[in-house]
Amino acid sequence: MATFQHQRLTPWLLLAPQLVVVGLFFFWPAGQAIYQSLFTQDPFGLASTFSGLQNFIDVLHDPEYLAAFTVTILFTLSVAVASLCIALLLAVLADRVIKGSRFYRTLLTWPYAVAPAVAAVLWSFLFDPSLGRISHFLELVGVHWDHHINGGQALALVIIASVWVHVSYNFVFFLAGLQAIPKSLLEAAAIDAAGPWRRFWTITFPLLSPIMFFLLITNTTYAFFETFGAIDATTAGGPGGATRTLIYKIYEDGFKGLDVGHSAAQSVLLMILVAALTLVQFRYIERKAHY
Amino acid sequence: MATLTLNALKKRYPNGHLTLHGIDLKVAHGELIVIVGPSGCGKSTLLRSIAGLESITEGDLWIDDTRVNDKEPAQRDIAMVFQNYALYPHMTVFDNMAYALKNRGIPKQECEQKVRETAKLLGLEELLERRPRQLSGGQRQRVAMGRAIVRSPKVFLFDEPLSNLDAALRVQMRLEIRRLLKRLGTTAIYVTHDQVEAMTLADRLVVMNGGQVEQVGAPLELYSRPATRFVARFIGSPSMNLITLEATTSPLAKHPLVRDMPAEPMEKAATLGIRPEHLRITDPLQALFRLEVEMVEPLGADTLVYGHAAGIAEQIVVRLDGIHPLEESAQLYLGAERENLHFFDVEGRRV
Ligand SMILES: Nc1ncnc2c1ncn2[C@@H]1O[C@H](COP(=O)(O)OP(=O)(O)OP(=O)(O)O)[C@@H](O)[C@H]1O
Ligand SMILES: [Mg+2]
Repeated sequence: MATFQHQRLTPWLLLAPQLVVVGLFFFWPAGQAIYQSLFTQDPFGLASTFSGLQNFIDVLHDPEYLAAFTVTILFTLSVAVASLCIALLLAVLADRVIKGSRFYRTLLTWPYAVAPAVAAVLWSFLFDPSLGRISHFLELVGVHWDHHINGGQALALVIIASVWVHVSYNFVFFLAGLQAIPKSLLEAAAIDAAGPWRRFWTITFPLLSPIMFFLLITNTTYAFFETFGAIDATTAGGPGGATRTLIYKIYEDGFKGLDVGHSAAQSVLLMILVAALTLVQFRYIERKAHY
Repeated sequence: MATLTLNALKKRYPNGHLTLHGIDLKVAHGELIVIVGPSGCGKSTLLRSIAGLESITEGDLWIDDTRVNDKEPAQRDIAMVFQNYALYPHMTVFDNMAYALKNRGIPKQECEQKVRETAKLLGLEELLERRPRQLSGGQRQRVAMGRAIVRSPKVFLFDEPLSNLDAALRVQMRLEIRRLLKRLGTTAIYVTHDQVEAMTLADRLVVMNGGQVEQVGAPLELYSRPATRFVARFIGSPSMNLITLEATTSPLAKHPLVRDMPAEPMEKAATLGIRPEHLRITDPLQALFRLEVEMVEPLGADTLVYGHAAGIAEQIVVRLDGIHPLEESAQLYLGAERENLHFFDVEGRRV
């Protein structure tokens, strides 16, 4: 007992690396962002004046910001839903494969090793209006594809590239989840007269729901923040802002427009948005996900 | 109520392992069959083949007058209680029990009524709203039973349903299961490796070994007339003493009880079996052998005595009634009644 209580230092030492990383890469920049969002800076960074919440008011009245917001929601929803659904389907299929299952599984996890930006470039080659295989095929069936001009197609391209990378990530989790479900549960359900389809929806799916919940959060965060590379490497927010997500707009305003104050205000708003979303997910969905 | 007929049933797993070597068995209406056998002998495989969870490689399986080899588990109208209970963890006890009824499209009201009836029968009424993880092992067991009973199937299958419970609870549940099954009058097959469970539950006992049926019969019949050396050793605790009769010149073989066996089987007899409880202390003239006591285990109600005898390679166990203050190295003259001697030939069959 005595030794247990007196070891006050050890837990802190063990936590230290994690705390340093979180502090250095999250709290410090976040603090900086909040601080800067309250000032108006001139483009050369020579002078800054306190402007209160004026930056936030400006941002919220900016139609471009609202457009970026819409694009982000569209993008996030599509990426999360599509990558979850495709990953689940693939995991269910891979779970049934007996011969050569290792091979399939390894193959399906590979895309995750590809950096999102590289994956995006790869897909933009495939869809390239003049060289691409897929755009060539689309031309044959009568669809004219040019994501340099067509905003909808540009968004679709970025979504496809992001989904492709993220499917593997979700796949690994789903497969592990599927294999953790005791076989006897499904056998009991088969004896209880549930067909394969019903077995999936009443037994497998509910038992996967904690994993589903976890993935929903990580996927949303992913779509909000981490697809910056994919967008920057392919469409750079264009054409005409069709793929300008909130995170990309922050980058554009801050680093290209050198408008630090407004960019920081957007960062803070994005942070609040994601925190709120995560909170909502925890409170409402987790209640259903638990058993 | 249904009959169940197994006709030369064979099961080969996809990896080529032949697990069931042709099982023949006829189960009557409302009969409670218990299958026992050592680990890995194919008990679960047999049960799963009957349930339809494993395909049958060869042979026929009949429920009443229908050949069900190619029917889905759901169409066979059986219910199975798994060793780990396999309760659906995300459903309440009520939903667990109602699941099979809902799947069969039974109206909600009837469903609810049946579940409540069954819950009452098993004393589960208080627990209907709980999830499996909020139940004790015994309660989970009961829910698993309830889930099987609620839809009144033709046949119940149990795969070691009590093996996860502690000893006291096991005795209690054993009695309850027997009472329940007799009350419902449903045909049932019950797999266990606990022979007390087997002896007390069974109408008929099936002893399996290495994918084959060694003997089928009433528990006491198997006890008093084991058909093979394997059954002789498997049924009864402590197990039967099996003494190799090497040559007709050994002192034991010259004993009148052994020598006066009818000539023909005597030549074939390779093993003499005597249960520990059938050995009695007698006078030196009638004794089969003289035991040099090596170890004594006083259990109160009876005493187990272990030792060796001249000319016999195997260790002998004797079960004596009551308390016997025996020295280690004491000597006992032991005899037995003629009808309690069992002879087995070289292949292990009874002669
Ligand atoms: N899916 C399978 N594929 C190949 N062989 C199997 C499979 N399942 C079981 N076996 C083999 O079949 C034999 C019988 O197994 P089974 O599970 O029926 O034994 P059991 O009598 O139920 O044993 P226990 O008392 O330990 O439960 C074993 O040798 C086992 O290794
Ligand atoms: Mg088994």
